[in-house]
Amino acid sequence: KARGSSALVLCMDVGFSMSNSEPGQEPSFEQAKKVIQKFVQRQVFAENKDEVGLVLFGTDGTKNGLAEDGQYENITVHRRLMMPDFELLEEIESKLQPGGQQADWLDALVVCMDLLQEETMGKKFERLNIVLLTDLNVQTSADQLDVIIDSLKKARITLQFFLPFPVDGEDRADGGGDGPGPSAAPVRPGKGLSRQQTQGLEMVKNIMTSLEEEDGLEEVYTFSDALQKLSIFKRIDRRPMAWPCHLTIGSSLTIRIVGYKAVTEEKVKKSWAIVEAQSHQRDDVKRETVYCLDDDNETEVQKDDTIQGFRYGSDIVPFSKVDEDQMKYKSDGKCFSVLGFTKQELIRRHQFMGSQVVKVFAARDDEHAAVALSALIRALDSLKMAAIVRYAYDRRSNPQVGAAFPCIKEKYECLLYVQLPFMEDLRQFTFPVLENNKKFKPSESQLSAVDALIDSMMLVEKDEDGESVDVFKVNHIPNPQFQRLFQCLHHRGVNPDDPLPPVEPWLKRDLERPQAVSARCQTPLQDVKTKFPLKVVVKKKEQKTSADVFGSSADEPDAKKVKVDEETEFNLAEIAKGNITSVGSVNPVRDFCTLIRQKTVSFDQACQQLTHRIEQLLGNRSPEYYMKSIACIQAFRDQSVSSGNAELFNSYMQSLKRSVPDRNLQELWDLLIQDALTLISKDEVDGSTFSKQDANQFLAFEQKEEVQAAPVQEDTGDVDDLVSVSCLFGCFNDKHIIYYICECNSDLQVY
Amino acid sequence: MAEWREYYQNEDDEVEEDEEDSGGAYKISGRDSLVFLVDASKEMFIKGEDGEPSNFDMTMQCVRSVYTSKIISSDKDLVALVFYGTEQSKNPRNSFKHVYVYHDLDSPGAKHVQDIDKLQGEKGAQLAEKTMGSGETSLGEALWCCSNLYSDIKLRLSHKRLMIFTCRDDPHVGDSAKDRQARTKAADLKETGVVIDLMHLTKPEGFDVSLFFCDIVSPPEDESELGLQTEPCRKLEDLQKRVRAKELKKRAQSRLTFSLGEGVNLAVGVYVLARTATKPPAVRLYRDTNEPVRTKTRYFHAHNGGILLPNDMKRAQVYGKKQIVMEKDEVDEIKKFDDPGLVLMGFKPMERLKLHHHIRPALFIYPEEEQISGSSCMFTTLLLKCSEKNVFALCRYIPRRNTPPRFVALVPQREELDQSQTQATPPGFRVIFLPFADDIRTVDAHVGPTASDEQVDKMKEIVHKLRFKYRSDAFENPMLQQHYRNLEALALDMLAPEPIEDLTMPKVQMMDDRLGPLVQEFKDLVYPPDYNPEGKPAAKRKPAESGGGGAEKKPKVEMSEEELKNHVEKGTLGKLTVPVLKDACRQFGIRTTGTKKQELIDALTMQFSK
Repeated sequence: KARGSSALVLCMDVGFSMSNSEPGQEPSFEQAKKVIQKFVQRQVFAENKDEVGLVLFGTDGTKNGLAEDGQYENITVHRRLMMPDFELLEEIESKLQPGGQQADWLDALVVCMDLLQEETMGKKFERLNIVLLTDLNVQTSADQLDVIIDSLKKARITLQFFLPFPVDGEDRADGGGDGPGPSAAPVRPGKGLSRQQTQGLEMVKNIMTSLEEEDGLEEVYTFSDALQKLSIFKRIDRRPMAWPCHLTIGSSLTIRIVGYKAVTEEKVKKSWAIVEAQSHQRDDVKRETVYCLDDDNETEVQKDDTIQGFRYGSDIVPFSKVDEDQMKYKSDGKCFSVLGFTKQELIRRHQFMGSQVVKVFAARDDEHAAVALSALIRALDSLKMAAIVRYAYDRRSNPQVGAAFPCIKEKYECLLYVQLPFMEDLRQFTFPVLENNKKFKPSESQLSAVDALIDSMMLVEKDEDGESVDVFKVNHIPNPQFQRLFQCLHHRGVNPDDPLPPVEPWLKRDLERPQAVSARCQTPLQDVKTKFPLKVVVKKKEQKTSADVFGSSADEPDAKKVKVDEETEFNLAEIAKGNITSVGSVNPVRDFCTLIRQKTVSFDQACQQLTHRIEQLLGNRSPEYYMKSIACIQAFRDQSVSSGNAELFNSYMQSLKRSVPDRNLQELWDLLIQDALTLISKDEVDGSTFSKQDANQFLAFEQKEEVQAAPVQEDTGDVDDLVSVSCLFGCFNDKHIIYYICECNSDLQVY
Repeated sequence: MAEWREYYQNEDDEVEEDEEDSGGAYKISGRDSLVFLVDASKEMFIKGEDGEPSNFDMTMQCVRSVYTSKIISSDKDLVALVFYGTEQSKNPRNSFKHVYVYHDLDSPGAKHVQDIDKLQGEKGAQLAEKTMGSGETSLGEALWCCSNLYSDIKLRLSHKRLMIFTCRDDPHVGDSAKDRQARTKAADLKETGVVIDLMHLTKPEGFDVSLFFCDIVSPPEDESELGLQTEPCRKLEDLQKRVRAKELKKRAQSRLTFSLGEGVNLAVGVYVLARTATKPPAVRLYRDTNEPVRTKTRYFHAHNGGILLPNDMKRAQVYGKKQIVMEKDEVDEIKKFDDPGLVLMGFKPMERLKLHHHIRPALFIYPEEEQISGSSCMFTTLLLKCSEKNVFALCRYIPRRNTPPRFVALVPQREELDQSQTQATPPGFRVIFLPFADDIRTVDAHVGPTASDEQVDKMKEIVHKLRFKYRSDAFENPMLQQHYRNLEALALDMLAPEPIEDLTMPKVQMMDDRLGPLVQEFKDLVYPPDYNPEGKPAAKRKPAESGGGGAEKKPKVEMSEEELKNHVEKGTLGKLTVPVLKDACRQFGIRTTGTKKQELIDALTMQFSK
């Protein structure tokens, strides 16, 4: 459905003044180009349905619908309104070059308006927006200004400006977005601005305030602002769907309401398709799912011969889809019914369930509903209470129980609805006492060290006016996951053969502790470090073997035991079972060993049969089968060593290792590590191509990760030196410390 | 843990998938087991004053609730029910006298629940008397028998627990030989990793744990006094709470390093204390035998039919007409920012934690002394100070490898006990997930008139009349309850499932009674006489927004080739609905690989961009 989409024209100044720059600063042109690039990147990869056009001014050529008689020259409509695609991205990257001319930005604005009106004719767009990126460094004729403002208003077109300097030097901070950490010091207005720029700035203010009244200037940004947080592009975000419903209290009190999803986790929308590695064709990969019985032969059965069932504890109950639908819980449609009211303090923050917060307003343009809901909101607010409600989104969805909290803002009032847990959702765990536990009781000096640390690491600071300012607002940081994904997609799209680029530095910086805080907490942290002995516990060689984990009950085939009992067991087995001709699934280890001993089949064949069984067992991916698999692998290894043939085993282990991530066999691999079931080395079998060290390292990929898991605090910039010294202190209990001190001597002298 | 995961899935697949490959080293295989060892002596059957249920009855109700909750939440766990002090004996080798194994260690099913039901109430007591009777007591024999139950099990057991329900503090009445035997057997059990708990029930003279049972039960996890509750349970509710607190092995989802910076690292375990319970997935059964079938998924080459191994496949996404290809490893690598762990950013006052900044259920962390010694002390100090200064810690959180970071608030929570000295809230930090800028939607607020004081006061009266004390475990999920009742009915061949009580429904009658004339008074204050809030607003109905109603009237518009081409060119096909796209494909005879939107779009793009 086309509802809610926007049309937007990016209008960028490419005139020659844009290429000028202060020493050490990027030219405005480059900055503006990056803003556009980032924005289009987001639009393309988020598959936004909004349509985007691109108008350049200051171009050498002229190409627009209004150009006539020397008017509207040097303005190029680079792209008419359409959904942004990869092509546009590539064009921006390669074709967007600085021009050698200058053009009036007001003229360019008129071209954009014309473009918007022409292209949106007969189509429905929720909003129309023009984004101007310019340094305002050009002579403009202001005589048409009123007409322009008028027609912008009439056409309900909104404007955003991106400038190299802030519109108002004083307080950008409360203008809607104070960025994470101190941003690069912006150029102060008035200082270093040309006459045209000062004049242009006045016009920008004029336009914006007449369009949006007092909030107008909030839509004027600096380039660096925009690059730092693309969330500025809010304006064109899609609006959440309205959910009209009735709030009911008892049988006869009803208030017409509308709910909106206000906060919910935004996910990556597109999933990855599987393509064939060479051809890159999706159609070359066919996926087949077969059903098979859990028997030795894995007998395949047709889907039509299967029915649906559910587990009920140990029972499996056949329960057809039809029956299920007939008997299942049916809710009677959408509702927002009050069950009762309770003290807000009885609803704990950590009990919030679900993945969203819904804002509930009175129905639009219904003042009676507004008054009724207002009465409820205010009553709840003054009593510090919340409503507990039954919430059902629609007839098909399951009901929830949740809380509706009152929320009174300067400009509006609403209820905030959050889901609460059902009894079935809760896990009651009891944890040992911490506070009154003598073993962990902190000393006075420890308490004061942490006290000082907290004080030094407060992320809320007082500004000059004594107002507290949050210097690390998480809700202003764009999710780095998207940015990183888009960066990689973009890069790979343009350079299909290059490796992926590293994470962009600004993105990394966003995720770090603010530098000021980092610097402030140095001393308290050192103090904490000396007062609290924290030591990584070196695991004694008491790692559990798989047998321990599983509890070695007598009937389980125990890997180690098989080895010892070989002689007797197999003789008995032969008598009991007659001739063994293949590796069965009941006791594959015994069958395998028998085959090898009897030489009924070749060693290769026996191994092949065994690996087939192992794969089958692993296919179940149930821990219950791991034990058996491990016994098989152990036997495989033992027999390979005694037959002096390492190749088959080693190559099997290597392929098994490769498949661990895909088949989710980490658990099995851990058990192999515990049992030290690794490659056969040269020391054991001459023919092996692996040294003992290779073999030892082979299993280690999991362990290596573990070592890395202890993150080394990465600090940026000027605190680097401090870090290296503190690492050094951490080494004092090490014998090699002398070596380190010599190495780092020069560093130490700094302090 | 696997079981808990399986049935407590998150609604979104992504998280689910993430969690499956979590915590490499910290997965535990094998099953949890729980043995109820219940005293069946005469004393257990004595009814309380004023017709209160007997201790035996209370125990059975409690066992039943554990059975049903296991069925719902962790159906792979094994449970056994054993009576001691019976006249009759029934155990695997019948080698133990006066021990009656009612249910061998097994995952509980419908039949088990039914069996327990039979033991409840007056009739239940009679049945118990008839089948088992009350006789001599030898706890040692009973414990021995239980230890055999454990060792007879062919499955690996990861956690073994035994709960003794009794109201007799001196079961062998001075027979020191029997006492000694019981102590030895208890020690043997504990040796093999079985945790023994005492659920002691009330008796007239009071229950003296120190007489005998203090030597039987396992020492508490920590060295504090909390481990053994010295007060016996009087009420079913208390007993259930006490059992529930122990019935599940608490298990960390993962263990992580919590880094304060400068190499100050402590170790914490991450726990899931609340997670949306969903209906378990259906299993496919073979029609002829009702045995479960397994599914195998294979990838093979469409042309030569060869099986494709993971290395033979890559991942791709299409944007417009551009296909971007990556290796599976690269797809994972994109999500990697740093190694798993919690990294402290700083602290903020509690009031900076906004109520509406909620995107996921919270987690819980508790120190792991076994990984980094000193963690508990550091953690406790942080907890005390954060709570004293009323601040929360802001951290960057990466739960596992190749997972992008999230910011979380660590909210201090000090331990609270309820009246029966059971832990109501455990000590530790709650982990609250904070939204990024992308997670916050722009909502155009509806601005309307506000209520007058008079109107607000009337509403306050209404609110006052409908007050209640909210408890998080007060509501059952009616959808789940219905599902399991249905299964129960089918499993036990009942004619119809037992009706459920839907606790989420408002008690309208009671509310109306309590409110009396207040509702009308309020309505008179806020609504004009002719106003009907239930009715549709007669005024204006925007055609664009009323997509719901007139589905059947929607005319079928055929799209011209011109229009389609235009859409293809502009890349706006995505704006069309799936039915329209399907019609277009049909109209122009285009074959598609599937009916997903992207597949339809791809097919049309292929056709018209030639």
